[in-house]
Amino acid sequence: MPGKLSFRAFCIILAILFTVVLFVAISFLFFVPSPREIWESMTSPEMIFSLELSVITATISTIIVMLVGIPIGYSLSRFSFFGESIVKSIIDLPMAFPELVLGLALLLFFGNTYISKPFEILGLPIVFTKLGVVVAQIFTALPYAIRIIYSAFEGVNRRYELVSRSLGYGEFETFTKVTLPIAKKGLFASTIITFARCMGAFGAVLILAGGAYMNTETLPITLYLNMSYGNLGMAITSGIVLIIVSFVAIIVFEKLEGLNAAKS
Amino acid sequence: MLLKVENLSIELGEFKLEDSSFGVEKGNYLMIIGPTGSGKTIILETIAGFYQPKQGKIYMNGEDITTLPPEKRGISMIYQDYMLFPHMSVYDNIAFGVRKKRNNEKEIKNEINHIAKVLEIQHLLSRSPTTLSGGEQQRVAIARALVVKPEILLMDEPFSSLDVKTRERMRKLVKNAMEEYNTTVIQVTHDFEDVFTLANKIIIMKEGKILQMGTPEEIFSRPANEFIANFVSTNLLRCKAIKNENNLSALNCNGVILYSAEEANIKAEVTVSIRPEEIIISDNMIKSSAKNVLRAEVIKMEKRGNLVWVTIDAGIKLKVIITPNSAEALGIKESKDIYAIFKATSVKVIE
Repeated sequence: MPGKLSFRAFCIILAILFTVVLFVAISFLFFVPSPREIWESMTSPEMIFSLELSVITATISTIIVMLVGIPIGYSLSRFSFFGESIVKSIIDLPMAFPELVLGLALLLFFGNTYISKPFEILGLPIVFTKLGVVVAQIFTALPYAIRIIYSAFEGVNRRYELVSRSLGYGEFETFTKVTLPIAKKGLFASTIITFARCMGAFGAVLILAGGAYMNTETLPITLYLNMSYGNLGMAITSGIVLIIVSFVAIIVFEKLEGLNAAKS
Repeated sequence: MLLKVENLSIELGEFKLEDSSFGVEKGNYLMIIGPTGSGKTIILETIAGFYQPKQGKIYMNGEDITTLPPEKRGISMIYQDYMLFPHMSVYDNIAFGVRKKRNNEKEIKNEINHIAKVLEIQHLLSRSPTTLSGGEQQRVAIARALVVKPEILLMDEPFSSLDVKTRERMRKLVKNAMEEYNTTVIQVTHDFEDVFTLANKIIIMKEGKILQMGTPEEIFSRPANEFIANFVSTNLLRCKAIKNENNLSALNCNGVILYSAEEANIKAEVTVSIRPEEIIISDNMIKSSAKNVLRAEVIKMEKRGNLVWVTIDAGIKLKVIITPNSAEALGIKESKDIYAIFKATSVKVIE
């Protein structure tokens, strides 16, 4: 019995210790620079540009990710089709796939003359542009989004859909009138997480969009560029903004998940 | 014939239905009975069009509907867990199907009020389905399915998650509603009580095969094989209700007084069912919570499978199932005197 107890104590202490170290480390972000320094960095043209670009690109990316992710998540949850298991593996991709490599792959793909030509003709070049930021964010966030959307649809008993069909509604009407409203909370949670992922996307954005000062500079890029100039105040401030975004996202997500769990 | 199922074969994961054919006439109440987990739900879902059968055809009014999508079939489905849409009020749930067909909101309202009255749910219409009890949810589910006046109504073990008292009441309500709407019903169940009150045709299924079809009388009086005999075998007695008190009714069955936990109309002739596995045999008089204790004589013993069927005479003849071990331990043999003990809740009043 004492052996068991001390093992339990060991596990719990480790869990608490890790959490404490993490929180202390994060709080250092807030306490190392002086409030004046943070305020000055916040109002600098570079930071305002970066924040604006981040919010705009992340919003566009989130909309596109959700529009694409909902049908994909739904098809994975409901239909069986040829190659389904291969498509399903994209859900697991973000756990193991390095973002930098993703960026490199996207750069090579969109840098290819045959593929970049049509975009250039349309006046929409992707490599080293703001559009590239959006593309990189989409590819970074989509697998996460699909994963959450998939489980949101899995949480909707398909018998609801069968009942709706038997009452005269077709597949699409059933989807919009029954499935979507019931999955609403999960889909909203997925939107929040997607937005946070897009705001924080770094590796792929850096490589595909180039991370150019005041041009393709999003918040994570601001952090990275200013770190390399030794401009610690700017770097920390962008870090703080990113942390706030992700904390809000996590809190909203947990709340929605909690509501979902309580319901089922 | 309203619905005809021909050589239907389904394969879905663990479940298999092999080469089954049956039909339903308009106004029939067909009950498909089988042990739990024999895939009865899948049969209903295939008839409704949610699954494509591996083989076989389904005809409605002579027309082949095998590949028709579910929304074009006019077949409603009620699940065991009701599946009321949680994001709509009870009223909107019931109105869901009608709104697809009509858009005169006043007519719709009249229809809903009518069916709500038949199923006694008028007071629930503005509530959210998540706040309803099981019996209430079920009545809403029935209303939602019936109000579109389906050609056929499919019901998947509709009473199994209700308590005994509610179940009784629900069966009566359902019976009335089906008569009122003149609906053809296919129901799957593993509960015999459903059969007695509702069915006029029965299919017995086991492991994806139809073992026997017929009217309840045919099946109960001439079970086609051992499995069905065991499955449907229950003690049926004709009794006269003599009084109701303290939630118990006393019944006179051929001079023997039995107590049932179900109410019966005084002086009415009723049929009573007692499942043979719910009767305990004891060597001597024991004190127990069971209300019915009868002195009886063993008149016949028969080993079937790994169980022993004992017929006893206590003024009424009863079949009892026990294990060979208990038979040996109690030294049960023909003409031995024993006590038969069973609870008032085991005495089911059928009609």
